[in-house]
Amino acid sequence: MRRNWWNSYVLAALLSVLVATAAFVSYRNAAFERRELGRATLAATSVSQGQRPMDNVVAAYVVSPASPSAKYKFLRERSVTESDGTQRRLGGNSARPHDKRIYDAANQFDKTGTFVQLVTDTDLVIAAQPAPTGVAIAITTPPTGPERFPWLVVLGLLVMGSLVCAAGTLVGGGARPLGLALGASGLAVPTYLWSGLAMALVLIACSMLVAWADWRGSLRRAGREFRKGGIAYAFLTPTAAAMLVLVGIPFVVGLGLGFYNNNHGEWTFVGLDNFIQILSGDGRSLSDPLNFWFTLGVTVAWTAVNVVLHVSIGVALALVLRQKWLKGRHGFRMLLILPWAIPNYITALIWKGMFQFEYGAINSVLSTLGLDKVNWFSEWSTSFASNVATNTWLGFPFMMVVALGALENIPSDMYEAAEVDGASPWQRFQHITIPHLMPAMLPALALGAIWTFNMFNVIYLVSDGRPGGGTDILVTEAYRWAFERGERYGLAAAYATIIFLILILWTIIGSRLTKKDAE
Amino acid sequence: MPRLLTLLFVFLLGCRADADPNTVLLWHAYSGAEQEALRDSVTRIEHEHGIDVRLVSVPYEAFADKLTAAIPNGNGPDLFVFAHDRIGHWTANHLIEPLEYYVDEDVADRYALEAISAMSYEGSLYGLPLAVKSVALFYRTDILSAPPTETKQFFAMEELYRDDWDGYPLVYENTNLYPHALWLHGFGGELFGSDGARTSLATPEAVAALSFAKQLDRDGVVPGGVDARMVATLFNEGKAAMAISGPWFQNDINSDVPWAVATLPTVSETGLAAKPFLGVEGILMSSRAKNKDRAYKVLNALTSDAEAIRRATKAKQIVPNHAAYEDATIAQNAALMAFRKQLDSTVPMSASPLMRSVWTPYQNALLKVIDQGDDVADALRSAESEVKSYAEGQQ
Repeated sequence: MRRNWWNSYVLAALLSVLVATAAFVSYRNAAFERRELGRATLAATSVSQGQRPMDNVVAAYVVSPASPSAKYKFLRERSVTESDGTQRRLGGNSARPHDKRIYDAANQFDKTGTFVQLVTDTDLVIAAQPAPTGVAIAITTPPTGPERFPWLVVLGLLVMGSLVCAAGTLVGGGARPLGLALGASGLAVPTYLWSGLAMALVLIACSMLVAWADWRGSLRRAGREFRKGGIAYAFLTPTAAAMLVLVGIPFVVGLGLGFYNNNHGEWTFVGLDNFIQILSGDGRSLSDPLNFWFTLGVTVAWTAVNVVLHVSIGVALALVLRQKWLKGRHGFRMLLILPWAIPNYITALIWKGMFQFEYGAINSVLSTLGLDKVNWFSEWSTSFASNVATNTWLGFPFMMVVALGALENIPSDMYEAAEVDGASPWQRFQHITIPHLMPAMLPALALGAIWTFNMFNVIYLVSDGRPGGGTDILVTEAYRWAFERGERYGLAAAYATIIFLILILWTIIGSRLTKKDAE
Repeated sequence: MPRLLTLLFVFLLGCRADADPNTVLLWHAYSGAEQEALRDSVTRIEHEHGIDVRLVSVPYEAFADKLTAAIPNGNGPDLFVFAHDRIGHWTANHLIEPLEYYVDEDVADRYALEAISAMSYEGSLYGLPLAVKSVALFYRTDILSAPPTETKQFFAMEELYRDDWDGYPLVYENTNLYPHALWLHGFGGELFGSDGARTSLATPEAVAALSFAKQLDRDGVVPGGVDARMVATLFNEGKAAMAISGPWFQNDINSDVPWAVATLPTVSETGLAAKPFLGVEGILMSSRAKNKDRAYKVLNALTSDAEAIRRATKAKQIVPNHAAYEDATIAQNAALMAFRKQLDSTVPMSASPLMRSVWTPYQNALLKVIDQGDDVADALRSAESEVKSYAEGQQ
């Protein structure tokens, strides 16, 4: 069994070079920065001691302490002494090219007591050091670029590795994977020197993985598979890449954020704290709208009520629209689909206007009928009902369309046969219509439940959580933590993760139900 | 294939235009007359200074989020127009550039002290002011001959309670903290302690102010549950004699409505002026601006006295420049002068990041009291503890 070792080795070597290059780049940048920051700091120190600066210095000054304006305490002037002994204000009409950098560096130094920075886009390094009469600032430029990529070392190691790999294959048996893993792991040595044990271990793990796959024959199978469906994979690549960028990465970042806390742009790892805070209710009573379990209860009730209404109204209308005696069925069907065709936030805003206390359409009708006006959003029950009314208006057309489609597919001879056998209309509905509707309605129901569960627009635009956040559902709650309550992005991400887990659970249950029904 | 290449080319061209290092990119959320005035100013400045300026209009609702996302990645604007109250937040995130290097006393002297001070935060200056915005008292001159000068007149002016007219004396968004703040200040209260870091919402003054707002609602002086759009409708239809709103409201008033603006009345219970929040709109510089010297040239020119006079005349902006009010045409505009007078009796909105956590809880308290009839002190106390819990979670 003399399988080709060459393909496997190229794959393993590619992975190794990738990891090694990453390790080298991070090492190289760090080394370059250390070297240049050191050079600039040295230059600043020599300026502070009154010596002439060294080579590669673009500008070097001792900057006077800031003198605040008497009128405006937030305005400060700084000046520098030129080599001929004259004083010059930094900035203004006679500003020199690096004045602003010097001024900013001096300000930063005053604030934090230390300053050194590499300005990557201009290749300048700025350092500040204390001086007897102010702050010494030096701007230097790197004399040479960062270290070159060591091609020879990498190539040499790869050639040596290929020899080891070939030898392993010649011996055969267990020596083959061993040779492959060992040969491809050669780059682990420089990787270890560049960026430490972790990266070296990653590299070795990659090589071992390839060797293992080669030994099991998976690589050959995968290669064959790929050659067979090559074009199909090529066509799939753009979509897969787009999915990765638009869905995969944000998803992973979102999951990760849940373990961090954001304090004005500073992120700290807090482990499971956010989740604990949410799931424990954060010390709030169960009737407090900020308690997670209260919100979850509202969300579940919201979803259940809506889905029941959507399905029953949708199916009822579909049954009516199917009747042959109904004239203008197509017209009605069009009309009934309209609420679905209008963007839902527009519908939500219209309903919000109708529920307005003083001049809304609903209260106007009530007062014309001689009834009291209702302050819709001041009580939980009426506020919740307003949301439900809006979302029912938005949601029934979808269920109706699905039900109509399913009803079309019921063969009419079944009804005729049932009628001949003397089945009552109710019996026909119960034993023919419902069983035929189920397979189509169950997936629609599962989907509708997910939509409703996350129906941000209606809650946010109609009741806006009133009264006191009581009608908020989980998504709006997550939004409020992110954007209305001090930018707690971490907590909001944790909320999103929990919502995701709940929906995953629901999807699993939903697909089980559908499957069971199909059987 | 050629079509694909053309598409790609156009796409790349689009990217290049964005990244052109010689253009100063300016984001704003202006619309209507204000946008036109800004565009005019920019054209003039491009001509005078030979700098290309690209104006990009960004919707107000998305503005802050877009900035926070774009600037750290280097895709943001060089300059942008925004109100001062987010400065604290933005400095904490290193999004904006301090301007002390560029600005000297001569430049600062152009503006009213309240306005330029509002653009500063923790001892640094972050922008130059374009316009000040605060609410004042609009009234219909066909219903009221003179505006009330103290609050007890709201309940007693004969003109407001005559038989042949059935409308509300006053209309404003009474469950919104922004207008409500004027009662808070009028009753001697404040949102933050004198050190600016401590929130104290449930003070006796705040309770008195909220009780007063509730009384206005209960006694039928103001209608309940109105939003900004309805304030305009009621005022236009003559169903409200007075409205509390800002300079932008002038554009919402129908041309056939006779109206005037006055400063807000003093609160009868305390004898203090009802001081509304002051919002200062300014031009700020991104910390990642491509060429800061050039960006400042544009910033400085846009906020100059000459441009301020043009903006005040054309877009009816309440500009902070002293020189504008010596201009003859502006001095004749009673509304502008009234808003300028109101400026002297305002409280700048806090630029502290804490402020952003206050809005929702405080407005919930307003809703609870005015809409649902909850106890005033209880509602404010629960708002205070809510704000505190948000602040603690951040530490």
